[in-house]
Amino acid sequence: MNSDQLPGPVEARLDRLRGRALPVNHNARTISALAANPGCPRRALMDAAGVDKQKIAAHIGYPAPFGQSRFAITRGNAFEARVKENGAAQLLTLLRDRLDLDLAEVGYTDFNDVGGNPSRELRHVRTRQGLIGPHYAPRTLFDHPLLRLRVGGRHAYLEPDLIALRLDGTFHVIEIKSFPVIDGQADPAKVAAAAIQSAVYVRALRDLIADAGGDPGRVSHETILIAPRDFASQPVATSLDVRKQLGVLDRQLVRMTKIEALLEPYPETLTFDLDPDDDGTPRRPREELAAAIAVVPADYAPECLVTCELCFACRAEAAGSTGALGKSVREDLGGIEYNAQVLALARGQLPSAEQAEIAVQLLRAAQLREQLLGEAVP
Amino acid sequence: MAETIEALERRIDELRVAVREAVLAGDPALASARRAELKRAEQAWEDALTAATALASPVLAGPVLAGPVLAGTVSAGTVPASPGETAEPSGSLLPLREQVYEALSLLQVPAAPKLIATVHEAFFGSTFPTTKVTSLKRDEERSFRTAPFARPYYICAALSADYLSPSRGLLAVSTWPMERRVIGSLSPRVDFLTAAIRVADAIERIPTPPLSARRLLQRFAASIPGAAPGPGSAPAGPDRVKPDVVRRAADAELSVHADADSRMRKEAADRARRQLADAEQLFGSKLQPVTEETGPVGEG
Repeated sequence: MNSDQLPGPVEARLDRLRGRALPVNHNARTISALAANPGCPRRALMDAAGVDKQKIAAHIGYPAPFGQSRFAITRGNAFEARVKENGAAQLLTLLRDRLDLDLAEVGYTDFNDVGGNPSRELRHVRTRQGLIGPHYAPRTLFDHPLLRLRVGGRHAYLEPDLIALRLDGTFHVIEIKSFPVIDGQADPAKVAAAAIQSAVYVRALRDLIADAGGDPGRVSHETILIAPRDFASQPVATSLDVRKQLGVLDRQLVRMTKIEALLEPYPETLTFDLDPDDDGTPRRPREELAAAIAVVPADYAPECLVTCELCFACRAEAAGSTGALGKSVREDLGGIEYNAQVLALARGQLPSAEQAEIAVQLLRAAQLREQLLGEAVP
Repeated sequence: MAETIEALERRIDELRVAVREAVLAGDPALASARRAELKRAEQAWEDALTAATALASPVLAGPVLAGPVLAGTVSAGTVPASPGETAEPSGSLLPLREQVYEALSLLQVPAAPKLIATVHEAFFGSTFPTTKVTSLKRDEERSFRTAPFARPYYICAALSADYLSPSRGLLAVSTWPMERRVIGSLSPRVDFLTAAIRVADAIERIPTPPLSARRLLQRFAASIPGAAPGPGSAPAGPDRVKPDVVRRAADAELSVHADADSRMRKEAADRARRQLADAEQLFGSKLQPVTEETGPVGEG
């Protein structure tokens, strides 16, 4: 059943890295964020091991600034429940309009568990059977099917809200969100995030079908976003074309380093375990955990502030480095690592051979600055 | 007073979700705090209801089809009382299980706690918090296992056709035939259409149906092609939705699904009777049975 999983040793090392806790699932958001910053080994390793970055960040004293509030989660769940209640009444009405569903296309199957068993492997097998198996009940809507995506040589389980399978064999990914669509317009950042997330699901579903010998083109690049109209609860359905996002995602997935290579430089005993007591309170000494984390370098950039729960910790660590100011900044500064070095060169310090070229530019910039502001570089 | 009860019911629903989230997220401290809040909200609801009952005219019991509507409604949105109706709060003397039985007997199909509460409020004059309904199934199972078939009926589960496991969120009546208590892939929609017809029938039996009943029918009609007045006319208020129109539209769509659904349900019911003991037939199988339906497992 798990024949595609990595060989034992890598799995064991990742388990060791994570410690006692259960693995945190990848979701489409973390995968799209991971693909967006593939150069950060710390993040790549932690996500591969399924480490709970939120808890770790909190324990070392840098709690993450984001994550949905309890009320947002409750509101989101309540909206989704309303859309799906009464035999998916509202959902069917929306899809009959948006996708031109046939009157007969009303099948609804729940993949949240298998006969009460929530095991991910079981759910994935059953999802495969349901989506592409020949002998299955009349089907149209699949609720929380469990897909898999190869990420960095490893499988991540993914859970779209819904997948619709048409009588003609076409698949559509459907996401339910609770941000409002007012007069046909929604928060562009949120729509963009939903589009990337849907693209990840499209990719996973296409891979599933291709692996089974089918035509991945059956998965439409048109996905559906269901959100409340205005601030009332009435749902409205919008189509998203995710071809562009698919292209970006595919390029990034190809570039990602395999996990074995990432693990290689570090001792087998390295672990981010929190050593929780019976109430779940972490007992591992803060400094010890911070030291373990520091063993694996990070690649902090301001983008981390919206995508990774460790951002404050890594930012503090990167303070004084040019990379922390932005991805392109270090390039513009000729690859020099620290702000202090840059300023020293600008003040006239003797450069090394590699620094010669950028030193000339920095001196020139300092001159201009002095002319404009009337003061030397501090 | 009306706002208090209704707001409390919404708060209780939200807190239930919050407790579940906290438990599943592995945060016991948060879960405890939320549970305490939930208990306080439920107690506040009881107190408010007691206070309301103390003010009310003689308590309504049994099927009551008169006008007064309990102000705390759990149906969609707030329902302002129309001029001709008094929003007199009232309570039922019946135990919860009997109220649920009343509502399910009207619907004649497995239903979720929210719909059950709405139907009871619309046609029997009183409602109850959905949180109490979800724990009812557990209590009924305990009662059955202690003394099987001792009661004339039990509020039980509906079983999913594939694994005969309890279908999440649905309640049924034990005296119904097995075929009605199994859920195939078409059954959610089929049962929705059937429920619409039953509600339409029930409304036609009442000389002056209460607003909550007409609103319920309106909500059904909004999701059935041909049941609501067409586009271009004024938005379908509860007064413009006609029971016989809804019935005919629901029947029309039902005819598309009925045969396939019956076949699936019969096959699943036969399997349930063959494979499951009495308690499992009523409350679902917790194990994962090996059936022809699971197919070749682990083909990857």
